[in-house]
Amino acid sequence: MNSDFEKRMEELAMRELPGHWKAQIVAAAQPQPAWWREWLWPCPHVWAGLAAAWGFIFLLIVATPHEPAAVGQKAPASWQSFAFLQQETEIIAQLSGDDESHRTPPPPPAATKPRSTRRVKQSVG
Amino acid sequence: MSSETNLERLYDEHAQALFAFVLNLLRHEADTRDVLQELFIKVARHPHLLEGIKDPRGFLLRLAHNLAIDLVRRRAARDRTSEQVAAQDGVLFAATDNPDERLFAVTLAEALGELPPDQRAVVHLKLWERLTFDQIAATLDISPNTAASRYRYAIDKLRARLRPIYDEIK
Repeated sequence: MNSDFEKRMEELAMRELPGHWKAQIVAAAQPQPAWWREWLWPCPHVWAGLAAAWGFIFLLIVATPHEPAAVGQKAPASWQSFAFLQQETEIIAQLSGDDESHRTPPPPPAATKPRSTRRVKQSVG
Repeated sequence: MSSETNLERLYDEHAQALFAFVLNLLRHEADTRDVLQELFIKVARHPHLLEGIKDPRGFLLRLAHNLAIDLVRRRAARDRTSEQVAAQDGVLFAATDNPDERLFAVTLAEALGELPPDQRAVVHLKLWERLTFDQIAATLDISPNTAASRYRYAIDKLRARLRPIYDEIK
């Protein structure tokens, strides 16, 4: 059985819990949103608009009719592969510099104008 | 019912008791707030902790006690022992206009601060939570006999410390 002294202590009221703690603590205890939600959060409407724009562009591409490629317009794939391979080999040879003979000859100089024309220009200049 | 509503209900029902208990243990308002926040975060993230608990108040007091002890240990590592904490801020009792009661409250708060935290916890749970020694034992994970003996020692110390004031205002 409690004595008078203990009863006297019991009767003392404890200090009130600060009222503003509730909002802070409950907010802090809420589960954090997913990273992607947090990332999108600052401007979700802008992201939605961007996604809609991309969707529209995609639909536009899909809906546009493609013209069929003319038969024989392009070189056969095997010839393309061969040309590409040859070009690659030449580039490697140029870079390594070990085989001067494989260098591609310099492109032919541009067609010169007739001398008569050049003379006229020189004389004018 | 949403988890936020559940948490708010839990807060409304138990936060005042938890606040007084932890404040009595730590005597530091900011630390008390940290412990309460940590406690409610733990409960919110692990809602299963309260499943099947018959006495949520007792469970939360136990959780708060463990978190407060952890905090005291961490603080002790930074040279903030419980004795130093006892002399710090953290007004424990409500303000009163009665000067005798105010003097008694201030002196009692000081005397409680001089008790070892183990005894202080038992006294708080017995006097201000009105728990039985069995309940205190379950909350603090000690035997009922230990709880009773800690309480007896603590009351003797408090009585000796407060006798002059108590005799004067009685």
